[in-house]
Amino acid sequence: MKYIFNFPDIGEGLEEGTIVEWLVKKGQKVESGDLLVTMETDKVVAEIPSPKTGTISALFGKAGETINVGDALVEIEIEGVAGEDAVKEVEKGSDMEAVEEEGAGVVGTLELAGKSAVLSGSAEGVSAAESTDESAKKKVRATPVSRAMAKDMGIDINDVKGTGPAGRVTKDDILNFSKSRTKQTSSSTQKTSVETQNHVDVEPLTQIRKTIAKNMIQSKHNAAHMSIFDDVEISELDRVRKQYKDSYAGNGVKLTYLAFIVKAVTYALKKHKSLNSEMDTENDNMLYKRYYNIGLAVDTDKGLVVPVIRNADALSIKEIATQIQTLSEKARDGKLTMDDFKDGTFTITSYGSIGGKYAVPVINFPQAGILGIGRISKQPVVKNDALDIGLVLPLSLTVDHRIVDGGEVSRFLNTIMGYLADPVTLVME
Amino acid sequence: MIEVKSYDLKDYSIFNSDKKSDFLIWQPDKTYIILGRSNRVTEDSVHADIAKKHGIEIYKRPSGGEAVILSPNTLVISVKLPLHNEIKTHHYFKLINNSIIKALSELGVKQLGNKGISDISIGAKKILGSSIYRKQQTLFYHAVMNISEPVENISLYLKHPKKEPDYRLGRNHNEFVTSLKLEGYEFSFFELSNKIQQSIAALLLELSS
Repeated sequence: MKYIFNFPDIGEGLEEGTIVEWLVKKGQKVESGDLLVTMETDKVVAEIPSPKTGTISALFGKAGETINVGDALVEIEIEGVAGEDAVKEVEKGSDMEAVEEEGAGVVGTLELAGKSAVLSGSAEGVSAAESTDESAKKKVRATPVSRAMAKDMGIDINDVKGTGPAGRVTKDDILNFSKSRTKQTSSSTQKTSVETQNHVDVEPLTQIRKTIAKNMIQSKHNAAHMSIFDDVEISELDRVRKQYKDSYAGNGVKLTYLAFIVKAVTYALKKHKSLNSEMDTENDNMLYKRYYNIGLAVDTDKGLVVPVIRNADALSIKEIATQIQTLSEKARDGKLTMDDFKDGTFTITSYGSIGGKYAVPVINFPQAGILGIGRISKQPVVKNDALDIGLVLPLSLTVDHRIVDGGEVSRFLNTIMGYLADPVTLVME
Repeated sequence: MIEVKSYDLKDYSIFNSDKKSDFLIWQPDKTYIILGRSNRVTEDSVHADIAKKHGIEIYKRPSGGEAVILSPNTLVISVKLPLHNEIKTHHYFKLINNSIIKALSELGVKQLGNKGISDISIGAKKILGSSIYRKQQTLFYHAVMNISEPVENISLYLKHPKKEPDYRLGRNHNEFVTSLKLEGYEFSFFELSNKIQQSIAALLLELSS
C-alpha cells in the first residue's frame, strides 16, 4: 500500500516551511519513528519522523524548496498483504495484529495523512486520522483482510459487530453480515438506505474548502460581527470611469469601479484608524497598522480566495486597476502564491457583478472590517429637490464590534461614500 | 566568499549531553554572527565584506531564524528539554519566553511583552529573539537578549531580514531593536543570569513533574 505523508503543521500555525535536508533516500527502508526530513519554518527547525514502517518510494521537493502545510512530502510503500495472499493470511489468523494497527489496507489503495495534522513530538509520528478525525477515533477494530473484504463488498465495516478478540471484526463477521444483508435487501428499510445512498454524491473536502471553513468559523467565534448598509449614488464616478476606460484599455488595463472603491477605502482607513487595526487579546494591545493592504475576495471555481493589494495607499488608481487584473487572473489560473495572501489589513468583497444588493460578509479575522459591494443599478433618486435617474451602489459593511463603535462605523462608511460620490476628491487627497 | 563554520559555541555541549533537561546562560567572549539552519547564501543576510574586514566569525546553528549577532554585550539563553506531545512548538516559545519575562519583571523591567513568533519586546522594540530546533524527543531553545550592544552594530553586520514579524512594520534594525541599557536598565551579568536561571529552573521542574 502506498502511504502519502503530508507536511504537517509543526505546531506554529504557519502555512509553509522549507526543506532543509532530506535524511532518507528513495528506496530506503524506514521504521516508524525514523527521521525523514529536516524542515524549517520561520523560527523552528524540526526533524520529522516517519509515521509508518516501509520503503520510501518518492520524495516530494528538493532541499531549499518551500512547501505548504498539507502538501505531499514523502510516499512510503507499506508492506502489506493483498488479494488471495490476504485470504491466506487471515486464515493463519495469528500474525494479523501488527499490520492491523498500522491501519493498512490492500495494495493499490492510497492512504493520505490528513493535511491539517499536527506533528507529534512522538517518534511514532502522528496519524491524521487519530488526531483530527473524530470518526476515525471511533474506528472499529478489524483485521486488514476483513476491512478489504468489507470494502470490496460495499459494506460499511462500522455496521458490523465484531466477534473476534477485543471485538475485532473478522472475515466471518463480514461474510455473516453480507448474508443477513442479502436477506434484508427486499425489505423497505434497506431500500430506503440504498435510495439515500444513490442520492448523495460524496466528495472529499478540498484543502481550500477546509481552509475557508476554518477561517469562517474562527472569525464567527472570535469577532463580534456588526453590519451596516447604505447606498451611494455614483453617476459622477461612472462618468469619470467611462471617460478614462478606453485609454486605460489601450494600455491593457481594465478600469473597473473596484479600483476606485479600493482607493476610497484606503483613504477612509487612513482617516479612521480603528478600521485598519487588530485586537491582540493575548497581550491586551490594540495594533493600529500604518500600512494599508487591501484583500480582495475573488470567486474562483475552486472556492473563495483573498489575495492582497499591498500598500494600496501609495498606488494610483491605474496601478490598483492593474493589480486587481493581475491578482484576478492569477486567482482564476490557480497561480496565487502564499505571499499574495499575506498581511491583509482590510477586505473588500465584490459580489454585485454576480448578483445581490446587500450581504452580511464575514470578517477576514483578525481584521477589523470587510466591505461588501452589491449590484449597481439605475434607480430613482432625488437631486436638487428633483427626481432623477441615479446610478446606485449598495454597500454592506461588517465590522468587529469589539474594536469599532457604531458611530465610528457610520463615519467610516460616510467617508467612503463621500469619495465615491465625488471621485475627484480621490485625486485631490 | 566568507567562511561559515558549524556551530560549536559554548552551549553546543548541552545539545549533545545525555541529560534530558539542561540549560546554559552565558555571555559570548567576542562578537559572532550566527546564521539560521536553512540560510544558504550568507551575503543575503550579512554584510559579509564588513564582517570579514572586522574578523567576525560566522557560524550556522542547528535552529531556525535568519541571522543574529552574539557579543559580550548580549546574554545567550540555551535550554534543552524533552518534548511533550501535547505541547505545540509555539507554546514552548511562550513558556520559556514568559519565564524570562517573569525574571525581567522581577528585576523591575516594564512594558515587556511577547511579540511576533518568538520575540520579547519592551514596548514596540525587540529585546530578545529566539529559535527552536526539534530533534526526535528533544527540543533545543536558543535566545539572544541584548543587554548593551549598540543597535548600530546590528545594522553594521546584518541586512534587513527577508521575513519580518508584523510588529516590525518595516523598521530598520536601529528603529526596531533596543537594549536593556538603552531602556535605562543596567544589571550585572550575575544579577541578570541568576534571576533568569531561577525562573527557567522552575519551568523545567514544572515540565518534568
